[in-house]
Amino acid sequence: MNQLFKNLCLTNLKTNQLKSIHTSSSALAWSKTENIPKRFLRHNKKIYPPQSPDEEPRPAFVCHQKTNIKYSPDKLWYIASFVRGMTVDEAVKQLSFVNKKGAIFVKEAILEAQELAVKEHNVEFRSNLWVAESFSGQGMVIKGIRRHARGRMGEVRYQFSHYFVRLEEGKPPADYYKINPLTPQEQLDNWLEQMRKRKIINSY
Amino acid sequence: MANTLISKLGALRIAPVIFTQPARTTTTKHYIPKFKKLRAQKVLKVDLPNPNEDISALSPEKIRQKMKERGILPPRQWMERPFYISATGGVFEPYVPPEGDGKASLVSTTRAKQAVQLLEKKSKSMMAIRKIKSFEEEFDQKEFVFQAQNTYIKAHESLANDDKRALRLYVTEKAYPEFRHNSRMKTIRWKFLESLEPPRVVHARCTDVVSKENIFGQVTVRFHTRQQLAVYDRFGRLIHGSEILAKDVLEYIVFEKHLSNLYGTWRIHEKIIPDWTPPKEPSKLTRVMPEPEPNIVQVESEETKQVEAGATAAAAPAIADK
Repeated sequence: MNQLFKNLCLTNLKTNQLKSIHTSSSALAWSKTENIPKRFLRHNKKIYPPQSPDEEPRPAFVCHQKTNIKYSPDKLWYIASFVRGMTVDEAVKQLSFVNKKGAIFVKEAILEAQELAVKEHNVEFRSNLWVAESFSGQGMVIKGIRRHARGRMGEVRYQFSHYFVRLEEGKPPADYYKINPLTPQEQLDNWLEQMRKRKIINSY
Repeated sequence: MANTLISKLGALRIAPVIFTQPARTTTTKHYIPKFKKLRAQKVLKVDLPNPNEDISALSPEKIRQKMKERGILPPRQWMERPFYISATGGVFEPYVPPEGDGKASLVSTTRAKQAVQLLEKKSKSMMAIRKIKSFEEEFDQKEFVFQAQNTYIKAHESLANDDKRALRLYVTEKAYPEFRHNSRMKTIRWKFLESLEPPRVVHARCTDVVSKENIFGQVTVRFHTRQQLAVYDRFGRLIHGSEILAKDVLEYIVFEKHLSNLYGTWRIHEKIIPDWTPPKEPSKLTRVMPEPEPNIVQVESEETKQVEAGATAAAAPAIADK
């Protein structure tokens, strides 16, 4: 079985090299530059139209990603959604008490993004940032073999994941996840609004 | 009673080992260790790559080993150095603008001195213009000046429009990076309003590079104009200038042409910035001042001194032997 796997790997490597003339690049199939998500970072390159002086200045933001982390994207998602809507300082503080491997990566990514924001994206105060977007994505998956009874085989998935974060300048919204229900007065106002908006058919 | 208490204390004395070392309640160990090896064989070991490996931190030997494992040859070293030969890399005998030009009176000591120097240089300028005319028969200062202003405006407009291809037509290869410097990811709104004084040629020079026939011509033109400039950052926030404020601008622009080149054109080569220019306006972007680096005061302890002394004493005879 072990021999079989080795042979599989070998053939894979060989075909990989034979596929193109550029042997070096394909041999470096695990290199950083290839197969990493690029679309999210393109937001950093967008140039917004100038604002007039009476307009409220557009908040600066920075997108950052951490690619190919050896961690399950499903597990990382919980941590990613945990920090959403927090200020940067709060997120870093909270993450240092999360007893999970993924928390380290998320914390690192947020700190890197904060540094980037101050250095390259005209953010004045490093604490004046909040986590506007935070999510995980699946990276490369390497498949291994597992032995089962009666000569059968199973698949082992060695998953890698990506982590994406967008920090925005300013204060976070008061209730990002809308955990707190509306106050009775607000509920009443909403109801009134709804009633006034309805249309009575054939009324005029 | 006392007996029991002592015994309890005794128990406590032994206990700390348990209390200080946190015991794990969950273990990954199987309750039957007998088939451990066979169980391990169920999963085949895979050599997982480390995509986030810091290659710069690896030692050269380690890198060599890794490349050998993968059968990759080391990258070929880039031994070439690019040269551009259709533009010079600077300004030869640059024009020295008279002090307080554009506003100050003609009566001042430095101004008088500069006027004398200017007369001396004028003959050289005349010679240079004659040389330019030998290559370019229809060269006329009055016409050239308007052509130069046109180039000046076009160059700035193409910079504001972020038109790199057009900018190359109006700017030499030396000035190109200087033009584009700091303009990345910014929106520039530039407007040429009017000429306060007609532009005029103040200086001209010619130089041969490498061979006698390979001649470059440089002409300095003085522009006194009124312009508007506003620079916005990536998010559209104003970081410099204003769109409602016009400013008087006095500039000395060096234009260059590769005279020997049949297809050479007059392009912007450099801007001469005199010593007496008023200081730049501070940026509207404010930043938190970085904390000053702590001053490390090295205190030499007596031990290190002794060691050093011993080292020099040991080293001295070695030199003497040589």
